[in-house]
Amino acid sequence: MAEVLSPLKSKCVAGHHGASEKSGLKMGTRALSGLWQIAGWDDFESAAQPVLSSLGLKDGGTFRIAQHADGATAWRIAPDRILIETADPNLENAPELMKLDLSHARSVITLEGPSSRDLLSQLVAIDVTPMAFKPGEFFQTGIHHVGVLIHCLNSDRFDILVPGTWASSVWEALYENALPHGVETLEVA
Amino acid sequence: MIRINCPVCGLRNETEFTYGADATVSRPAMDENEMKPWLDYVFNRTNPRGWHKEYWHHVQGCRQWLVLERNTLTHEIGACELAREVTE
Ligand SMILES: [Zn+2]
Repeated sequence: MAEVLSPLKSKCVAGHHGASEKSGLKMGTRALSGLWQIAGWDDFESAAQPVLSSLGLKDGGTFRIAQHADGATAWRIAPDRILIETADPNLENAPELMKLDLSHARSVITLEGPSSRDLLSQLVAIDVTPMAFKPGEFFQTGIHHVGVLIHCLNSDRFDILVPGTWASSVWEALYENALPHGVETLEVA
Repeated sequence: MIRINCPVCGLRNETEFTYGADATVSRPAMDENEMKPWLDYVFNRTNPRGWHKEYWHHVQGCRQWLVLERNTLTHEIGACELAREVTE
């Protein structure tokens, strides 16, 4: 099988850029273990429940807080749509659901470090201060006019899910704005 | 600056949304044979001064279509609902 390359492969070269005396944040990428969207209609809640249960997830969660189970993360991205990251290739299906494999359609840009929130606040029109954007929370917004999902992992660590075709543009917008903070780019794992 | 209270995402900046269309227009019945109702439906719009119902798309967010009230004079934003939940 052909090796799937990250669209960020050429960006993720180890190095230190921008303000030389500072190391405000690290930018990198990580492979998605597998990304699925399940979508449905009026009875979405009950149709989705067996899929969520099979992954150990309690329910569909809220539009604000990601759900976690061993090996699975779920984001409720719309009333009848849930995004699930799981390595399980045999995700359950039901006739009332549309299951869509997005594993190769999204890339993850990782941010880490004390200046991560400062960088995000330069690029999104949302309050990303620690009181307003807490670990475990996520939101969908736009960076550089591209729809993204930003997930807060801990006080200064974030995953940004980006459409693969725009990953390079979003990376550049983040990178340019990160330079004054001093940015370390991480090798693709 | 316009801010829109998306029922899914919460209060967000207008830059995340795009305007869709006039939400007060409804399609004539499919068996309507007069030309006038179809002409009005496709081309003719009122241009109100004040409150107006509009379709907006939360394109850089939950990607849901919304029906929102906007004041064309002051740009105030009123009630905002998911279009799928608007029955009339
Ligand atoms: Zn929304």
